Amino acid sequence: MNEIFLKLKNLNWLYFFLVSFLSFVGIVMIYSATSAMEMNVFFNHITKVFFGLIIMIIVSLIDMDFWKKNAFYFYLIFLILLVWASFYGHIGKGSRRWIEISGFYFQPSEFMKIFIILSLAKFFDEKKIKDPSDYFFLVLPILIVLLPVGLILRQPDLGTAAIILFICFLIFFIAGLSWKFFASIGFVMLMIAPYLWSLLKNYQKQRILTLFNPENDPLGSGYHIIQSQIAIGSGGVFGKGWMKGTQSHLDFLPEKHTDFIFSMLGEEFGFLGTLSVVGLIIVITSITYNIANKFNRDFFNRVLAYGLISNFFFAAMINMSMVIGLLPVVGLPLPLVSYGGSSMITYFIGFGLILSMDRKLKTNY
Amino acid sequence: MIDSKDNSQLLRKRSFVLGGLKTLFTLIVFGKLYHLQILDKLKYGKLSDLNRIKVKILYPERGIIYDLYNNPIALNKADFQLNIFREKVDLINDYISSLSNVIKFSEQDLADLKENIKNKDLSDFIIMKKNLDWSQLERFELISNNFPFLIINQERARSYKNNFIFSHVIGYVGYRKDLKDKKLNNLKFGISGIEKLFDKKLLGKDGWIKLETNSKGRIKKELNKKISIPGENLKTNLIAPIQEYAYSLFKDINGAVVMIDCENGGVNCLLSTPSFNNNEFSDGVTAEKWKLLVNDESKPLLNRCIAGLYAPGSTFKLITALYVLEHLNFNPNTKYFCSGFTEFGDRNFHCWKEEGHGLIDLKDAIKKSCDCYFYNLAKLIDVDSLSEFSKNFSLGVSTRIDIPNELIGIMPNRKWKKKNKGERWQKGETLITVIGQGFMLATPLQITNMTATLASGKKIKPKILYSPDNIFENTEVSMKNLAFVRNAMYSVVNEYEGTAYSSRISGKYKLVGKTGTSQVRKISKEERELGVLKNEEIVYKLRDHSIFTGFAPHNNPKFAITVIAEHMGSGSKVAAPIAKKVMKFSLKNFLKKQ
Repeated sequence: MNEIFLKLKNLNWLYFFLVSFLSFVGIVMIYSATSAMEMNVFFNHITKVFFGLIIMIIVSLIDMDFWKKNAFYFYLIFLILLVWASFYGHIGKGSRRWIEISGFYFQPSEFMKIFIILSLAKFFDEKKIKDPSDYFFLVLPILIVLLPVGLILRQPDLGTAAIILFICFLIFFIAGLSWKFFASIGFVMLMIAPYLWSLLKNYQKQRILTLFNPENDPLGSGYHIIQSQIAIGSGGVFGKGWMKGTQSHLDFLPEKHTDFIFSMLGEEFGFLGTLSVVGLIIVITSITYNIANKFNRDFFNRVLAYGLISNFFFAAMINMSMVIGLLPVVGLPLPLVSYGGSSMITYFIGFGLILSMDRKLKTNY
Repeated sequence: MIDSKDNSQLLRKRSFVLGGLKTLFTLIVFGKLYHLQILDKLKYGKLSDLNRIKVKILYPERGIIYDLYNNPIALNKADFQLNIFREKVDLINDYISSLSNVIKFSEQDLADLKENIKNKDLSDFIIMKKNLDWSQLERFELISNNFPFLIINQERARSYKNNFIFSHVIGYVGYRKDLKDKKLNNLKFGISGIEKLFDKKLLGKDGWIKLETNSKGRIKKELNKKISIPGENLKTNLIAPIQEYAYSLFKDINGAVVMIDCENGGVNCLLSTPSFNNNEFSDGVTAEKWKLLVNDESKPLLNRCIAGLYAPGSTFKLITALYVLEHLNFNPNTKYFCSGFTEFGDRNFHCWKEEGHGLIDLKDAIKKSCDCYFYNLAKLIDVDSLSEFSKNFSLGVSTRIDIPNELIGIMPNRKWKKKNKGERWQKGETLITVIGQGFMLATPLQITNMTATLASGKKIKPKILYSPDNIFENTEVSMKNLAFVRNAMYSVVNEYEGTAYSSRISGKYKLVGKTGTSQVRKISKEERELGVLKNEEIVYKLRDHSIFTGFAPHNNPKFAITVIAEHMGSGSKVAAPIAKKVMKFSLKNFLKKQ
C-alpha cells in the first residue's frame, strides 16, 4: 500500500493533467455534439473517459520491466483476439472488427497498435542493429508488423492498417535502419501501387480522388469535406459559441461526435479553439520527447516512447488534416477528443506507459 | 561495427528528423487552419448561412369583400401547398413518382410546376402542388420523413361564398404572366369585376421570412421576417341575400336583375345569368372549360347587367310621357282612339292589343301600355330632342357606375342614324323609338338607373363600392310631371287592368313600375295578316324578352329594380312576378335595416 502511494507521489501529475485536459475538451465537445441525441450517449462517453483515466493510472503504476518482459505475450494474446475478431467478430461500419464481451464491444486491432509498438521496441532493444544491411535480421520485426496488418486488412479496415504501417515505419526509422531499406521499400511500393489501387473499393478510391477536388462531387463523398471546411471556416477567430454551431447542430456536419469533432470545435470555438488543441497536442508531444531523450542508451524505453507518442501525434494530425481537407477521409478519430471507443482506451494505455517511464526516470536515475 | 554509443547517437539523429517531420506537419495543419478560419472566414461564413438560411416570400392575404350588411362575399380559405427546396430541384421527378399513390399530379399541375421551376425568384422554395386536400395532407404526414426537403406550407387563397351568384360583379383572381416582379408569380391578382378594379387595395403588400433549416430539409426556427400586409377589406353596396334570392328565381332563365338604392345610388343587386363558377376560375380553369364557356351561345361570361343590350320596350314609354309633359306642355287628359293600329305614311303601326284600347288618356295608355297612344305622341316629337332628354335618365350615356366595361347602348337620333346607318332619319322610326323598340338599346343597369331617377327625381350615379354619404343633384324635370309618371306607374301595378296588376304587393308598401316587351324580331306584314304567332310558337332565339322595371315603396322610394328575362315573352308574364318577389323580399328584410 505504501509502495503504491509512493509510486503515485512520483507520478508526473503535470503530464497527467495535460492528458486529462485534452479529454476534458473532448467531453465539452461531445456534450454539444450529442445534445440532440439521448443523454446516455454523453454519459456513456464520460464513463469511458473515467474508465480510461483509471486504466492510465493503473498502467502507470506497473513498472516498465514488467511490460518489457511480457511484451511478446501480450502481442500473442491480442494476435489471437485479432484473429477471432477478423473471422468471427461483430460486423460494424462495413467491417468485421469487434469482439463483444458482455454487452461491450471492443476492437483488438486498436489494442494491437500498442503491443506491436511494445514488441518492436523490445526486439530492437535486444537485437541491436549491428549491420544495417543485414536484411535477414529484419524478417522477425517485419512479421510482427505484417501478421496483424494482414488480419486488419482482411476485416477490412484500411485506415487502421495504414496507420499501423506508418507508425511501424517510423519505429524502423528511429531504430536506425539503413536508408537503403526505406529506399527499397519505397521502390517496391511504387511498383505495386497500381495493384494496390486496384484492390481498393470504389468508395475508397472516391475518397482519395475527391480530396483533390471536393467541389467536383459536392453531394457525394466531397460533401463531408466541404461541409467540414465550411464549419471550421465559418467559426472564424472566436467561433460561434459553445452549442451554437449551425453546421453541426443542423446536421450539415457528418459524424460530428466521432471523426469530425475537430470541425465542430473549429466552428464553435474558432481559430483560438483549434489553435489551443493543436498547442496542447504539441506540448504533450514535446514533454514526451523530453522524457524519451532522458533515457539515453535505454533503447527499449526510448523507442517505445517515440513510437507511442508518434501514434498519438500522427493520429491527431491525420484526423485534423482529414477534416480540413488535406488528407482523404479514412475514418480515424481525434485521440481523446472523439466519442470514446477502443481507440480512446488505447491512447490512455499509451500515456500510462509514458507516465510509467517518467516514474522510472525519477526512481532509477 | 557499430557500438551502442553510435547506436544511440543514430537514434538521437533520427528522432531529430522525426521531430522535424512533426513540426512540418504541424505547420501545414496550422497554415490550413489559418487559411480557413482567418483568411476565408467571410466566404465560409456565407456558405454556412446559405446552408441553413432559406428565404420564403410571404404572400399577403387578399382583402375581404363584404356586402352592405357585412356578409363576406369574397373571402379566403386555407390553401395547403407542397413545397420543395429550390436547391433540391433534382429530386422532383423521383418524388413525383414515389408520391403518386398519395398525391397525384395532374397534367395541369405538372405544367404549373415546370413554370415554377423556371421562374427564379427570391424564394428558396418551389411550389410543387397547390390545393392539397385533407386526405392528401394526412397521408403525406405519415410518410413525410421519407421525403426530406419537402414541406407543407399554408397559404391563404381566394374563396367565394357562392360559386355562381356573384361571379360577374365580383369577378375572379388568377396569376399574371406579364409581371416584372418575379417574386409575385405565385400571387393571384384580380382578373375581372371588383377584384380587378380594386386590385391595388385588395392586394396588400408582400413580405419575406428567413427560416433556419437543417440538412434534412426541416425547418427549425424562424430567424427574422418582414410580415406581409394584408389587403384592405372592401365594403360594397350589394345585399347578398337579395342577390341570392333573385338567383333562386332565375332557374333556367337567362337574364338580369339589377337593384339600385334610390337614396344613395348603391347597387344592391347585380345579377346576371347564366353565370360561371368563379371559385373554379380562381383555382385555375382548364383551357377546355374556358373554350366551352367562351363558345357557349348563352354567353355565361357576359355580365348582362352592364353589357347586355336590350330594347327597353314599353318601359321607355315612361320617358316619352315625361318628355311630352315637360317639353311639349302636353295635356295628359288628351285622349286618342286606339283601334289596334295607327296609320302613318303608307304603313300601319300596330298596338300589342289587336282589338285596340278604344278611347284612352295618357295615364291609361301607360297603365295598359297602349302603343297607339304613343304613336300619336310620336307625331308631335322631334327624335333629337327626345334623345337629348333621355340622357337625363342615363339612356344612351354611361351611368358612371364604378365598375368597368359598361356599355352605353343606343339612344338613336338623326346624327346617329346618319353616322351608323348612312341614311336619313325617317319619321316612322320615331314611332317605334317612343315605345322603346327599333334602334334603341339599353343595359338593365341603365333602365334601373332611369327608374331610380324617376323615383327620386335625382341624378343617380350607381355605385358598387360603399361610401357613407352620396348626395345627388336634382334633375331639371318638374316635380309635378314626375308625380304624374309615378302615379301612372302606380296604376300599372296596383290598378285593375294595369299590365302588372297580378304582380301587385298588398300591404303598406306598394310596388310601382312598368312592364316591357323587348322585341327580338320584326313582325312582318304577312304574319300580321295570318295572325301574330304566340311567343311559345316561335324558336327560342327569336322570342321576345320579358322586362319589368319599377320601384318601391311607392310613396317613399327606396329600391329601384329591373328584371329582364330573355326570350320569356311579355313583361307582365315573367319579369313582373319575379320583380314582385324580389321586391317583397327586399322590403320585408331590408327596408328599415340600416
